[in-house]
Amino acid sequence: LKRCQISMDMHHIEKSFHRIKNTIQMKDVFQNVTILSASETLYNITPSDVCCMTKDVLGLYVDKVFRNHEESDPRIQRGLSTIANSFLHIRNALEQCKNQRNCDCQKEATEKFQIIVGNYEQMEVKAAAIKALGELDILLSWISRNYRPKATT
Amino acid sequence: DEVVNLPAPPDLSVHSTNMKHILTWSPVTIPGETVNYSVEYQGEYERYYTSSTWIPSSWCSSISTPECNVTDDITATVAYNFRVKATLGSQSSSWSTLKELFNRNSTVLTSPRMKISKDGYHLIVEFEDMGPYFEFNVTYWKKSPNSQKELYKIVREGGNLVHLETMEAGAEYCVKAQTIVEVIERSSTFNQVECIRAQDESPL
Repeated sequence: LKRCQISMDMHHIEKSFHRIKNTIQMKDVFQNVTILSASETLYNITPSDVCCMTKDVLGLYVDKVFRNHEESDPRIQRGLSTIANSFLHIRNALEQCKNQRNCDCQKEATEKFQIIVGNYEQMEVKAAAIKALGELDILLSWISRNYRPKATT
Repeated sequence: DEVVNLPAPPDLSVHSTNMKHILTWSPVTIPGETVNYSVEYQGEYERYYTSSTWIPSSWCSSISTPECNVTDDITATVAYNFRVKATLGSQSSSWSTLKELFNRNSTVLTSPRMKISKDGYHLIVEFEDMGPYFEFNVTYWKKSPNSQKELYKIVREGGNLVHLETMEAGAEYCVKAQTIVEVIERSSTFNQVECIRAQDESPL
């Protein structure tokens, strides 16, 4: 991610998710199923594939996950809006970075992303969306690990 | 309820300084009545992906003053739209929206207020607490007729005393600083240079 030099407000995104996490995760009735399946996919991505995987996974969330979840509680709406707009900003910046050939996908990363998409599409649309929203803590901690803010003074 | 034609609140605009964003509009006045207002917002995501979605502002549902602090609503560096309607009893006006979308990367950044002091031979600097988005880029140097070597330090947050340098006896040191806001990738202009002289060597 460092090659793409993107400013990410990870602290604020994580804070927004933390506020709504319990409410979201309680709506997930398929506890023994996973979409991001962290151990097999995200957490053994090579550093050179991190950028492309981030772009693709954020794209999945922007294009499908947030859209397929209808929310009436303004508090949850606000939290999800912060995350969705932040993801949109980051994804758009990574797309530009890709155009400058700094964020290309290796075969292995593409295959791993397809595992995630496969997991998502196996579930009913609304259940998949709520499951993916509930797994945002997995995604956010993975992104934070790969985008280390500068050391504090 | 006497039917009153409630106009939509005009002149919506966002005033933003140092990442504090205030939405204002012109009041709707009905003689002898108190008109209330409700504010909603849309980020770029809502506009492109769920265009019918408007989100109630965090702090401004049914308020009576024609302004709203929307800092907690604008939480990403994308273009936002706002809409406001007036209500009087059971009657509501139509919504009015911004003429131009607002992105927080257009906020006005002022140079930071700074206090320098000394604790013995230690040069100390303190900044006002400007909120979670602000870091401070501090440049300082020892004044001398020939060379002037500038040193730099990034201070991650305001509101604390920060040790810059251990001064040489009798030497004068100068400091200037600017704010840095990483999430919008911008910084302010430098503030006024301030200088301070270290005490002379104390006689034994």
